[in-house]
Amino acid sequence: MMNNRYLRVFLKIFSAIISIGAFLLIWHIATNGTKLGELMPGPIELISSLIKSTYTNIGKYTIIGHILFSLSRVLIAFTVGGVIGILLGTAMGWYKTAEAIFRPFYEMIRPIPPIAWISLAILWFGLGEIMKYFVIFLAAFSIITYNAFAGAQAVDPVLIGAAKMLGAKDSRIFRSIVFPSAVPYIFAGLHTAISASWATVVAAEMVRASEGAGWLIIQGMEMNNMIQILIGIIAIGIVGLLLSIIMRGVEAKLCAWSKSGK
Amino acid sequence: MNKDVVIKCDSVSKIFYSSDKGFDVVKNIDLTVFKNEFLVLFGPGQCGKTTLLNIIAGLDMPTSGKVYVNNKEVIGPGPERGVVYQSISLFPWLTTMGNVEFGIKAAGVGKKERRKRAQYYIDLVGLQGFENTYPIKLSGGMKQRVGIARAYCIEPVVMLMDEPFGALDAQTRYLMQKELEIIWGREKRTVVFVTNNIEEALFLADRIVVLNNCPTSIRQEYVIDMPRPREYTGEKFLYLRKEITGNMDKTL
Amino acid sequence: MQTNIKVEVKNLTKSFGDLLVLDDISFNVTSGEFLCIVGPTGCGKTTFLNSLTKLYSITKGSILVNNEPVNLKKHNIAYIFQENSTFPWLTVEQNVSFGLDIKKVPKDKKKENIKEVLDIVGLYAFRKYYPVQLSASMVQRVSIARAFATKPELLLMDEPYGQLDIELRYKLEDELIRLWKKTNTTVLFITHNIEEAVYLGDRILVLSNKPTKVKESIDNHIPRPRSIVSPEFVKLRNRVTELIKWW
Repeated sequence: MMNNRYLRVFLKIFSAIISIGAFLLIWHIATNGTKLGELMPGPIELISSLIKSTYTNIGKYTIIGHILFSLSRVLIAFTVGGVIGILLGTAMGWYKTAEAIFRPFYEMIRPIPPIAWISLAILWFGLGEIMKYFVIFLAAFSIITYNAFAGAQAVDPVLIGAAKMLGAKDSRIFRSIVFPSAVPYIFAGLHTAISASWATVVAAEMVRASEGAGWLIIQGMEMNNMIQILIGIIAIGIVGLLLSIIMRGVEAKLCAWSKSGK
Repeated sequence: MNKDVVIKCDSVSKIFYSSDKGFDVVKNIDLTVFKNEFLVLFGPGQCGKTTLLNIIAGLDMPTSGKVYVNNKEVIGPGPERGVVYQSISLFPWLTTMGNVEFGIKAAGVGKKERRKRAQYYIDLVGLQGFENTYPIKLSGGMKQRVGIARAYCIEPVVMLMDEPFGALDAQTRYLMQKELEIIWGREKRTVVFVTNNIEEALFLADRIVVLNNCPTSIRQEYVIDMPRPREYTGEKFLYLRKEITGNMDKTL
Repeated sequence: MQTNIKVEVKNLTKSFGDLLVLDDISFNVTSGEFLCIVGPTGCGKTTFLNSLTKLYSITKGSILVNNEPVNLKKHNIAYIFQENSTFPWLTVEQNVSFGLDIKKVPKDKKKENIKEVLDIVGLYAFRKYYPVQLSASMVQRVSIARAFATKPELLLMDEPYGQLDIELRYKLEDELIRLWKKTNTTVLFITHNIEEAVYLGDRILVLSNKPTKVKESIDNHIPRPRSIVSPEFVKLRNRVTELIKWW
């Protein structure tokens, strides 16, 4: 019954189209027929502005330019935070000395939301890029470290014993057993961290920037331009979704061993 | 045929301490295992059988007493001892090949030689065609074959098996018992095999050491000289089964 | 005689897509019977059980209990699985009481019921303990007591003793036989262990490999308590083994 599966996929897509279509229709009717139109642009107006913004500048850049700015800030700080977080977290989880040295500092930093650092970061690093990298780094780093740490601690002691009996020494056990065991945990952390980083860049740009998705929204508010605000929000949503889809793809590849599937 | 001693346990005891109290887990084990002997440690409960095996493996140290393998005192894990575990102890992120060659890779054996040797043991346990499969896609019986090949691949003198078929269903268990006997017949090793399944013990053992539960100590020894392969419902088999289970420690 | 039939499985067929798993299975279970079902490893055992408990919708055929289509709301059907299924946050007593509370059994009757089943499985002294404080075999006895306490019309058991020591298993199996005799429950016991099936059943239903069919139904009149070394036991065990053997 191969048809069955296609039918199910078709029904899924069909019902998604119906529900989104219905939402757009109600929106359209509401903004055109009632006073709500003063507070909200209609869907047609919004979508056409969104398309237009991809080839005309808002401020210095097109919408794509703004997003690329935000994205590059996120990716640089997230990568640095990720690498340091994975190394520090797994090391703390496996080596007692590493835990004794770093864990107290880490536990102090961990509960502070990254946005709370923005003011301090401005005083330290000024208004430039470093300030933004710093807060995004903190957001990604603290989440990833925690997950890597938990993953390294959760390694099955039977596997450690098996590796020892096969002749593996300490550093090999760390590389070949502790680290791969922690990978699924690390990925759960990376998922959360990329969303947190994306949220943090928007906040940082709202405080001070002259480009980026956060700037779009703040600028729109100052100019009383509702369409610009909404375009900013939609762009942020779409990019966030794309990032998490890409992450899931990478995870499916790297963690093939932990999923039954095909 | 002269009997070379391969493993010697010299009044081995293990006490676990928790807060203020000490628990005897293994008590005064004196045990000698001969070259190429299939020795079964048989006993109820989960008390100290695994601990005893871990002490022989060198993963755990005795509180008192000593263990010698080939006349050398055991002070840690060593390549002359291989272990097959009950639970699924395969590295899930490695394929069958990756798991089997893990030990010799750690020992620095070159890729070509490594692959050749791993392949030999994969063939021995009948897993050709599954070299690149991850453990999650293998059935319980196949996983345990990988476990056996992995332990064999470091070419140990002694194989320690801790209830390797405990998680399998009754029928797959019969199959694995038969297969293990064939593998052992082809690649003779000194085997110490822990089980709480009397059929398994009688099917495989040259000698059965019946253990008491909590603390683990030796209750009695039976030399099993039935010809192989043995029949589960043979007269002698059932007789011994009744005799040995009748002589088991019933305190649980 | 018609009235004596508790469960009637008629032409039970189940396929997943193109894959036929259960192929036209028909059999009856008489009231109060202890029926053991054995088949080779990988013989659609789980699918079979899930079809009986209506976890899966069946492709064709029908399952009748008391001459009506099986209905979990109406028929009192209990299950015991291989895995520990006790609630860890409840004591032994509260675990056994759980099903009785749902059925709104009056307090006095409930107390009496709990004592009766816990006595048979020898856990009355442990009634205030939590499962985590008990050994694996004791926990399994709690599940068994919990299932029998509701006096089910039909009890389905899926290898409840799979992970236990052989000696202990026979002890628990004797206990099971006592509970069964006392409560007159109809039991469907599914297992891979041929010896266990011969030890327990009034009748043994032998299944084939996938697509699963009923290969044979064998009456087992060996008087209880049975001895695993008696010639008639060995003969029956070997006969069932021959029907199933793949290893």
